[in-house]
Amino acid sequence: MTDTAQPIWIDPTDCLYPENAAREAPTNPHLSHQTTWNETRAFKPRMHPVGRLRYYYKWPGHGGRLWWRKRYWPTRRRFLQIRGEYNPKTMRREKTIVDKRPIWWILGFIALVLGPAVVPAASWNTVMSAAAVFGIYAAINLCWMLIIGTAGIFSLASYAVVGAAAYGTTYLAIQLGLPWWMLPLVGAAIGLAFGLIIGLPAMRLDGFYYALLTLGVVELCRVYVVQSREFGSATGGLYGAPSYLPASLGQMPRLLFGYYASLALMLFALAVYRFIDGRRLGRVLRMAPEKREAFAQACGVDFIRARIMVFLISSTALGFIGGFYAIHFGGASPNLFSFDTVLLSLAMLVIGGIGRSEGAVAGTAIVVFIDRVLIDLGPLRYMLIGAIMLAVVLFLREGLFGIKRQFRTWRDKKKSERRATRAEKGGEMLPEEATETADKDQIFFRRFDKMQRDFLKRLVTDTVIEEHRTRPLGQHSEALERLLIYFRRQGQVDKYAIMVLEEFKAYRIVALSGHRGTAPRVVEDSLYPTPDEAYHALFLRRVQDLLET
Amino acid sequence: MNWSFVLSNAITLACIYGTLAIGISLTWSSLGLVNMAFGFIFALSGYGAWLASINIGAQPAIVMAAGILTGAFGGLIVCLLAFIPIHDKPNFPLRALIATLAISLIGNQALLWYFGPRAKSLPRLFGSWNADIFGVIVTSDKLGASASAIVLLTLILLWMRSSRRGLEIRAMMMNPHAASIVGIGVRRTGFYVMALTGSLAGLASVLLAQTYYVAPFSGITPMVKGLSIALVGGLGSVPGAVIGAVLIGLNEALTSTLLGGQYVLITQFLLIIVVLLVRPRGIAGLLDKAREA
Amino acid sequence: MSGADKTAVLDVRGLSAGWGPLRVIHDLDLTVFAGERIGLVGLNGHGKSTLFQAIAGLTGWQRGSILLNGFEVGRTRSQGPGRYTHQIVRRGLALIPQGDEIFHGLTVEEHLDSGAYTKRAWKERASRKIKILQIFPPLDKLMGTPVGRLSGGERRMVAIGRGLMADADLFLVDEPSLGLAPKIGKSVVDALMAVELGSSAMVIAEQNLALLEGRVDRIIGMHAGKLKGEASASKGLMGVHR
Repeated sequence: MTDTAQPIWIDPTDCLYPENAAREAPTNPHLSHQTTWNETRAFKPRMHPVGRLRYYYKWPGHGGRLWWRKRYWPTRRRFLQIRGEYNPKTMRREKTIVDKRPIWWILGFIALVLGPAVVPAASWNTVMSAAAVFGIYAAINLCWMLIIGTAGIFSLASYAVVGAAAYGTTYLAIQLGLPWWMLPLVGAAIGLAFGLIIGLPAMRLDGFYYALLTLGVVELCRVYVVQSREFGSATGGLYGAPSYLPASLGQMPRLLFGYYASLALMLFALAVYRFIDGRRLGRVLRMAPEKREAFAQACGVDFIRARIMVFLISSTALGFIGGFYAIHFGGASPNLFSFDTVLLSLAMLVIGGIGRSEGAVAGTAIVVFIDRVLIDLGPLRYMLIGAIMLAVVLFLREGLFGIKRQFRTWRDKKKSERRATRAEKGGEMLPEEATETADKDQIFFRRFDKMQRDFLKRLVTDTVIEEHRTRPLGQHSEALERLLIYFRRQGQVDKYAIMVLEEFKAYRIVALSGHRGTAPRVVEDSLYPTPDEAYHALFLRRVQDLLET
Repeated sequence: MNWSFVLSNAITLACIYGTLAIGISLTWSSLGLVNMAFGFIFALSGYGAWLASINIGAQPAIVMAAGILTGAFGGLIVCLLAFIPIHDKPNFPLRALIATLAISLIGNQALLWYFGPRAKSLPRLFGSWNADIFGVIVTSDKLGASASAIVLLTLILLWMRSSRRGLEIRAMMMNPHAASIVGIGVRRTGFYVMALTGSLAGLASVLLAQTYYVAPFSGITPMVKGLSIALVGGLGSVPGAVIGAVLIGLNEALTSTLLGGQYVLITQFLLIIVVLLVRPRGIAGLLDKAREA
Repeated sequence: MSGADKTAVLDVRGLSAGWGPLRVIHDLDLTVFAGERIGLVGLNGHGKSTLFQAIAGLTGWQRGSILLNGFEVGRTRSQGPGRYTHQIVRRGLALIPQGDEIFHGLTVEEHLDSGAYTKRAWKERASRKIKILQIFPPLDKLMGTPVGRLSGGERRMVAIGRGLMADADLFLVDEPSLGLAPKIGKSVVDALMAVELGSSAMVIAEQNLALLEGRVDRIIGMHAGKLKGEASASKGLMGVHR
């Protein structure tokens, strides 16, 4: 059957009288059941070329084992995580780089090292001094990230540690005449002492109490430094620390030298980050995430000790950086303690994403670029930074480097929700429902029934309804006949029936209960004067129910 | 240096900082939001009051109302930006903290950009006369500041105790989920609470501007003080905040008399550490045990 | 059962609801008429609580129509659980949740007041409180006590009392006897039976069939996220079938 304009109906009973020509009559057009069958049975998932995943390059050839075997000193890490396997479909030998981050890191370093060559001469001074600041701030932020991300202590006093070390070392250098290379070491000692003092309350206080407390520490330091005469309240900072730059250098080489020195400092901080976060302490702390501390403790993880250890090590490193700060800038300024510095550096962490080293470095690069290079913008640049920070916090869960994961989580959630909401009324059974059903035939019956109803829905047209209205009983077109056969075949529960109140005068539609001894229920108030009208009303109800499913 | 002068000074400061601390405390406990943009709201309402005194008139009522209204407006801004979009998202407390910090950064810079770095001074609200209370000479602005802070705080506390909205806010403090089941809209209550706490900041700003000036960054020190008082009192507890304010005020008075002004922050900090080491949840932990259940 | 002459307080059509990938309620239809007291019986994890939460808009996602007093309160929703709950509650719903969800620091009296938060109920909260005290006499002595100090049974009374304070047309009571000693649980259910419903309706979810048998107008079974079988009070439970 096709949906050609006017299909012809041939009376099947005429085969009994082959001598006569068959009776023919025009009938209603309808869509063939074959169409629905083909559409339902069609294979819909999108297929990809055999043997290759999208977006994921597979290197050809052997050699996975080789990468697996080589490790670098002093750790026992591999250079690259490379997996070698046979493609099960093409039987081709393939290598997969499981973790591409080392490659990005190395490319980034190369760019940083070669960067000064491409800086335009006009803005050389601005950009290079900003780049040196970037190196130092990135180092500080990496250590801070250890405290916030790895140890989970929400301390805002990292810059206070740096500032204390910078002030202390400058003061000692002026008083005792220390050589420049002593300053970072002395700074590390100061940082350790400072870390001990502010780290102790962290054992008892949680979360915000500690954050607010450290904010108080920062404010305390600032007020003290601003008021104290021996720390240079008059000159707006304490200056006079020895510089590590040879005095004979000119302006440009000095900047270049300073830049590479701070880059080396950043490498040092990265090494510290890697050695704490990637090794035992980091793993212990990853077992005790927020709100599951009690469970970790019950498993024998001494997470408080680990946290304090991380805090102290980072504070020592921060002190070291403070000493470097003093010899780089020739002293210390109260700016280190200002609320704005805390804010800006928190913006650096947040923009990149808390808990990852690449986040700290990239966030620092963005913020320092806006802060130090786009000086022409004036106060607007702080607003720009604040706006970026606000946008990141409002829309991203884990900063810029968490976008990929957040997107995937969101997509998976949407997919699974759509799948869960998709099942239609009376449609196929979902897995959850199917496991609960004792009679497994029901699963296949429902699948078949759904397909049949999809087909029957397409048969309902105005002509078919009009045909039924004019002639509820008797010979019907194929479309109407199929519909009526389906309706007749339904079970007794809630099946519509016609109740005769008074013959040839009043008919009413009821629904059978399906249980012996339980009376049918009335479904509507209207009375029909003739049986034909009642038949048609009942047909319309059934059609409506069919279309609703 | 005489005792009574320092004491009266400390009580005035305690009243003003206590107002701020109660604002911070209320925000935290009912919305779960540490409002670091409080300093910005403080400075903003100072400027609002200043603009009103320039453009409309320098009557005390106008200036004060302008400050309070601007504060409420600032609170609404913070609510719209940092509470409404993320309040039912994961990791809300930390994200909200950072969002309010970002608002504070943007807002303070905007104030600096628009009004310039020069400090503005508000007209004197309470005139200049002296009162003699039990032999202590108190200047008018101190008396006025303490009195208006105490009156407004008492009014707010009474309102919270007895009215339907107060019950709503307190219910949100205890259990936001149950509050929504009872029929309390979390977002709407958020607006009320932020407007209320913002107006508290506005009041404190106008009062503090009697002694200090209005400047783009003038809000940060008061905010840190308010935070420390809220901490000592225990976040979320109004009686705790009052006790904390008195404690900090007394400490300030005693230190500056006995040791000297530059040691105030150090002793205050040590006091906070000692209190928090003894009671990690602040003084309020001592006051009502039912909260911890 | 003929219900054409009564007005429906709640009319749920084709409701599906769940959390993330998990679908708990499967395509459920339920009609609750005014003045009815219905028992919803089913085992753990078959979706009784989720049904209530879906009506209150607290599930992770839901779709299908929920008519409460003729207002459409259900809609296709895939995020923000609880964002519209207060609006639904103002339309005349009182949910007494599992696990009480009380406000620890408020006193019993403030608690009851908070139950009457909706505007109409707030004005007549004094008379409502007297009614609650008639249902739960032990609360009279505890009026000034913070709820955090009460025992489990008393807390349950407070939670139910808070729900009954509301000016609601539909009361959803989730597991009133859960976690209580059998005797206390029975007394709580007795108290629920004693509530005069008037034109409102009540649905009680309960695992213990014996507590409800013969005392409610209808008992509906719930199995695997669907309603299975129904029995009216006069016929006992013979009609309940799976």
